[in-house]
Amino acid sequence: MNDPSPIAAVSKPDALRSAITDARARGDAILDIYRTDRDLRAAILKPGERTVYEPKLGSGPFIRPSHYGVLGFFALEVDDARADWWASEYPVDRVSGRGIHVMPLGPVRADVAESLRYVLTVFGDDIHHVRLVPGYKHRHVEAAIVRQGVRRAIRVAERVTGTSPVAHAWAYAMAVEEALHISVPVAALRERTCLAELERLMSHLGDLAVLAASTGTVTAAADLLTLKEMVLRFNQAAFGHRYLRDRLEVGGGSPRQVEKQALLSFVAEVEREFRQVRRALDRTNSFLDRLHGAGKLPTGDPLGLRLTGFVGKSSGHASDLRWDRTYGTYGDLTQDLNPVHVDAPDAFGRYLVRAEEIRQSLTILKRLEGLPPEEPVPGREGRFGSGVGFGLVEAPRGRLFYRVAVRGMDVTAVRIATPSSLNWPAVPVALAAHNILQDFPIIDASFSLSVAGLDL
Amino acid sequence: MFYRRWLYHFIRRPAVSPYPFRPDPAALARPGQIVTTTRQFGRSLAVRHVDGGSSNGCESELALLGSPVYDWSRFGFGFTPSPRHADLLLVTGIITEAMVPHIRETYDAMPEPKLVVAVGGCAGGEPGYFAGLPGVVGDLGEVVPVAARIPGCPPSPNDILAVLLAVVEAPAARRAGGRLP
Repeated sequence: MNDPSPIAAVSKPDALRSAITDARARGDAILDIYRTDRDLRAAILKPGERTVYEPKLGSGPFIRPSHYGVLGFFALEVDDARADWWASEYPVDRVSGRGIHVMPLGPVRADVAESLRYVLTVFGDDIHHVRLVPGYKHRHVEAAIVRQGVRRAIRVAERVTGTSPVAHAWAYAMAVEEALHISVPVAALRERTCLAELERLMSHLGDLAVLAASTGTVTAAADLLTLKEMVLRFNQAAFGHRYLRDRLEVGGGSPRQVEKQALLSFVAEVEREFRQVRRALDRTNSFLDRLHGAGKLPTGDPLGLRLTGFVGKSSGHASDLRWDRTYGTYGDLTQDLNPVHVDAPDAFGRYLVRAEEIRQSLTILKRLEGLPPEEPVPGREGRFGSGVGFGLVEAPRGRLFYRVAVRGMDVTAVRIATPSSLNWPAVPVALAAHNILQDFPIIDASFSLSVAGLDL
Repeated sequence: MFYRRWLYHFIRRPAVSPYPFRPDPAALARPGQIVTTTRQFGRSLAVRHVDGGSSNGCESELALLGSPVYDWSRFGFGFTPSPRHADLLLVTGIITEAMVPHIRETYDAMPEPKLVVAVGGCAGGEPGYFAGLPGVVGDLGEVVPVAARIPGCPPSPNDILAVLLAVVEAPAARRAGGRLP
């Protein structure tokens, strides 16, 4: 197999850094820095070298002797590969060489998927390099939040990512409450905790269903989807919305008490059913074999990725805000529990973390009912003024951050860092590490990131 | 080892999802039969989905249509990876300008006769909190001819299934006018 001919390739990050510094000093353009199986590479464009990205003269069909099977070992054929296979709309970060070509995928993809373009550089079945092209569903979420008032903007925050509205609403509310010094009654915090854990349950069950379907384990996928539908119906019955929207309010609102017996019997049923599905999955070799080693992330963080959520927990970045920066009522609920940590930075590890987190969420939901009745301290309405607050919440996919600036009843500025936007940069790295195209859906499903969280 | 598994499966049947598992009364109100017996579509309906800028909630509900709870395949529906095989186009989300050419391209690639259904309030012309923002078209009807709109944020799988059945069973003349449901 031909080695892709990079424009600058070094095996050590320090050497690459100095090469980039030199190139910048010379006035060259750095097109991309990327990682292959063996080394880090930078695509550097020198001002005079435009021909690098254009097919050489005389490379048309049936001119070279190699087309007739003669003198094929001449390296000149590399140019043919470029001329034939390289589409003109992808001028940057090309990995070129004999037989290497680009496979664009998206934004319209198979089945039900969000709009995102993957530019896959492949050699036969081997994935060599991946570039993500977001921007198809940029919705100006931050602008939409700013033009609403403080209280109504929480409804927009719920619509940033449809599958984790509670985490977004809570992070927004937390930021506003910090900015305006509003204290929230314990009953409201308990309701938020309950909603957040139900949402984590729903999100993880749906993710695992997609993962099971991507490996062809359709029975487990059907069971997991049914379990997810069970959670959604419980949400509808207990809180009035399948995705738990329109419940959270800045300052607490009017929390709804779930009937204790209904919650406990629901949790017991989900626990029983999920244990069966998990047991079956853990014994299905065709499922496990596809996950082991697929989409392996480098350990030791050579790229400076700050991974979070289940991706981080399986690759040595274990952090969970429910323990690290306790909020809501998690302090009492998670005292003797430990955040899930798995030492397998591949698709299997990401599966295992979520399976364990489902169990943990069910435990937390059970404990939520065992808490002593809250002391009757009403929520204190803060002074309306101006201020800046931060909201940090552990969403189903990881750390979610909101920074909100408030003046009077208006939101003047908001910045959102979603867990998906933190984890998406790891997807090309995981895809281009000894994987073939058949692994693509599995690795994609094992990350199960939302494009809506990337294209804010 | 083989005979151990064989005996095990002989004594105890392998795990399967019972069907229909925890059925939804609203979804199962009508008998599970192939409904699309109109001349236009034959007996199955291939569906292509395009995300025009959704919040991922509609996708979550669309994925549930294939679950044993709703199981739309008993009516002849199914997702197809290629627009060339599609009879029906489901579009979700506020329509962003970046997605307009792709939606149009997908629509053009579909063979006649073809239908477009806007899933969710956003695609149906009520983008709500996102109305009027730069780069937001907000109505699928401005991009391709729409046969039906499904309101809701997100609409439940029941609603989606009901509208899809209504669209497919409607006479062609009513369908062309875009007056459904």
